[in-house]
Amino acid sequence: MNYILHLLIMIGIYMILSYGLNLVVGFGGLLSLCHAVFYGIGAYACTLLMMKCGLPFLPAILLTILITGICALIVGFPALRFRGDSFVIVTLGFQMIVFTVLYNWVDLTRGPYGIPGIPRPVIAGYEFTTLPEYLIIVWTFLILIAVVLFIIYKSPFGLALKALRDNEMAAEGLGKSPVHLFLYAFVISGMTASVAGGLYATYVTYIDPTSFTLDESIFLLTVLLVGGTGNRIGPFVGTVFMILLPEALRFLGMPDAVAANARQMIYGLTLILLMFFRPQGIAGKYMVR
Amino acid sequence: MRTEGLKIKNLSKAMNGLKIVDRVTATFLPGRITALVGPNGAGKTTLFHLITGELKPDMGEIFYRKKKIAGLPPYKVARNGIGRLFQDVRVFENLTVFENVASACYSERSETPWFPFLHIKGLRSFNRDIADRVMFWLEFGGLADLKDTPASSLSYGQQKILAITRIMAAGFSILLLDEPTAGLNPVMIKRVLNILKKIIKEDKSKTIVLVEHNMSVVTEVADWVYFMNEGRISFFGRTDHVLGDQEVREIYLGL
Repeated sequence: MNYILHLLIMIGIYMILSYGLNLVVGFGGLLSLCHAVFYGIGAYACTLLMMKCGLPFLPAILLTILITGICALIVGFPALRFRGDSFVIVTLGFQMIVFTVLYNWVDLTRGPYGIPGIPRPVIAGYEFTTLPEYLIIVWTFLILIAVVLFIIYKSPFGLALKALRDNEMAAEGLGKSPVHLFLYAFVISGMTASVAGGLYATYVTYIDPTSFTLDESIFLLTVLLVGGTGNRIGPFVGTVFMILLPEALRFLGMPDAVAANARQMIYGLTLILLMFFRPQGIAGKYMVR
Repeated sequence: MRTEGLKIKNLSKAMNGLKIVDRVTATFLPGRITALVGPNGAGKTTLFHLITGELKPDMGEIFYRKKKIAGLPPYKVARNGIGRLFQDVRVFENLTVFENVASACYSERSETPWFPFLHIKGLRSFNRDIADRVMFWLEFGGLADLKDTPASSLSYGQQKILAITRIMAAGFSILLLDEPTAGLNPVMIKRVLNILKKIIKEDKSKTIVLVEHNMSVVTEVADWVYFMNEGRISFFGRTDHVLGDQEVREIYLGL
């Protein structure tokens, strides 16, 4: 039972991440390889605000959103001068820089030692410690963020992003400013990721930089591309598929000696086949180029 | 009224040492369809690029509504009321016909992410107004039946009409049309021309400039012609005068 609750909590956290990333990748058509940066900044900011500044969970999360929003602005401004492959490379660069900072700024982050003993969230005097309680808090945040994002997806802003994605020159010719609109999308996406970071940190009560590496950014992008982008159902399908598939492979009953490697290979093969037969993702209509 | 037009003064642009647009001076007046004709490589499309801000001129100025607009980024030129139909159409392929036109109807303010949250109460009537406007323009372009079709499924001709409808819906006063009839069959050409005539007839404040190679199209709709050759305007005047000129006929029509 605990195992299922744990999976549901992780699905909740990853859905927050992928719904946010969807705005940049699915709507804006920009492949970002630094989403884990904002996830990581969120986790560290929330942790440090709670442990070093003694802030309660909710104010810490709000401040975390603000801090990460500013970071996303700083990253997005130069990155969004680029498009296509160059944008991918620039975001990759930022991913490496931030990871290195988290890893080496030992005074602040304790670097590779990580930060243990992160307090559980306390809201209105009630401490969320057990798995079912944590499930409630994660999914409450997920629903709040999803509602906000769904309104944004459906808004004129969402449509303008899709127009820019389909043909930037034509959209600009209709008076849409690529710089402003993409930057808004990037900042909102970073802010939502920071909430996931705060929730993750207080859930596992220990963070170190290895949770926020390039691997994580690639995983998040994979979640989105597998599920399908630019709509409301894709990130959900992608998250459930990518988190449950490796878990499901555990139950294949393979001999222990080969199980781990075989699982990885089946996992990889599934992704290849999926892209082969369904390049737009399981629930996607639009194919990211 | 004369000052309301789009004025180009001494505009020049060189690329790789080659003068593509060379000291071009022209005025495009409202209530009029002006054609820009000339051989391939004469600099017509580049001139459009310079006006809409896709390229920055090396020299010269562009005036519109007493404002200097040369060198502004494309989205600012568009916000000043200058719209463009691209030679290669450029519809938003993954959006429906309705969404393509809707994307042109939203103001800069309504396209901020926070707009729906600040206008929760009025959102329904706002969306209804936009839908009405979109439907009006879809009827205008004769695309109402196709409103839920993805733009990528339309024929080339329908995409052109969609692109024209889109810039009409955006409310631009100056329409720069780069080969609006190229690649279309005679029926579609007729539809496009009727739309252009309707625009000018219904709204005398609109200025239409078109680059066109089809001379029967130019004769049918254009009031005024600029003839461009090797980056320069070499003739201009009433359509019949310019197209009747012996030199123009030799350079361009090979007659």
